[in-house]
Amino acid sequence: MNKLLTLFVLLIICTACDNRPIATVTAIGQDGLRETVLPGDKVKVINFWATWCAPCVEELPYFESIGSSYLEDVDMIFISLDEKKNIQTAVEPFLKKKEIKSTVLLLDDPYAAEWIPIVDQHWDGAIPVTLIVSKNKKQFYNKALSKADLEKAIKEFL
Amino acid sequence: MKTLKILTVAVVGAIAIAVVSGMLDTHERTNLFAERPVPNQNKKQTPVKEKATVLKGYHIGDAATDFSLINIDGEKVSLKNYDDAKGFMVIFTCNHCPYSVAYEDRIIALDKKYKNLGYPVIAINPNNPDEYPSDSFDAMKVRAKQKGFTFPYLVDAGQKIYPQYGATKTPHVFLLKKEGDQNIVKYIGAIDDNYHDENAVKNNYLEDALQSLIRGEKIAVTTSTAIGCRIK
Repeated sequence: MNKLLTLFVLLIICTACDNRPIATVTAIGQDGLRETVLPGDKVKVINFWATWCAPCVEELPYFESIGSSYLEDVDMIFISLDEKKNIQTAVEPFLKKKEIKSTVLLLDDPYAAEWIPIVDQHWDGAIPVTLIVSKNKKQFYNKALSKADLEKAIKEFL
Repeated sequence: MKTLKILTVAVVGAIAIAVVSGMLDTHERTNLFAERPVPNQNKKQTPVKEKATVLKGYHIGDAATDFSLINIDGEKVSLKNYDDAKGFMVIFTCNHCPYSVAYEDRIIALDKKYKNLGYPVIAINPNNPDEYPSDSFDAMKVRAKQKGFTFPYLVDAGQKIYPQYGATKTPHVFLLKKEGDQNIVKYIGAIDDNYHDENAVKNNYLEDALQSLIRGEKIAVTTSTAIGCRIK
């Protein structure tokens, strides 16, 4: 009886927690980017960042925490613009340290002028930026977002 | 005894549920913690307001503002003091940004080559050193010496100039040409299209624009985009 109860309690804890593993990095190219920005079943929140970008690193935990509380409705996708050679030395250690469990892609293509318009015509190339897409709506934020800003932006899509 | 055990488990369970539901309840917690104090908030508020009205920045053909900014040697630099110049490569750049660092050698080469043809580089660091400590005035002096900068490296003290130009990131280039007593914006954007590898560049945007200006021809590509570090 006791065991059963303990099991029950453990079950509650585990299902409530975000028990996804820490993210690993998947490198993509321009085609992968094109696919990523297409609408999916859930609302996609796509954030462009890099480990060396201070305002990006500052806002990333908000994105992760909001992403994990809207798991059912939102696909949180982080696209790192770090160099491929830094995946194991900088990017993955960062994900581990910050306990990032959302999808992490990495786009290391120096010809940014070719792929910036895929994301948004109004993007001047500064990071961080965030794109939110659903089947019938698209919104591009050419700025860093506070946690409240982000939550408000996502709620407009739900 | 058994009742006690069951009770204990029930209490533990209740605590666990309370903790978990607390963890889940992220929606109302935005103001749970004190706001992080912002240094020099009073100083910062004025430029933020100004930005809102002038954030659009320059377009091709606009007359760019002159400035009087402190160089790393302590002297003030203004465009009007360059009597012999035909124009300027005004480049917003900084120490901390890897894209800026990747372009340092190319900026030096451009300055050496085009200064003699009338188009010197004027580098301006637009960042607030409170946001990026490695962009401080002292750090700028160190970096300029290490790399042997051949051009002025100015501080946008109070961050009044970059919003007028409409610079948003580093590096961000504004190519100006003197016309009468004005400096007209001829090209805005990147230095070229490959920060990573100079030998793999497909489009030499800035140099092509300079060449066109010198030959008196129309500039084919007047704007370009590239990834950079957001100015803060």
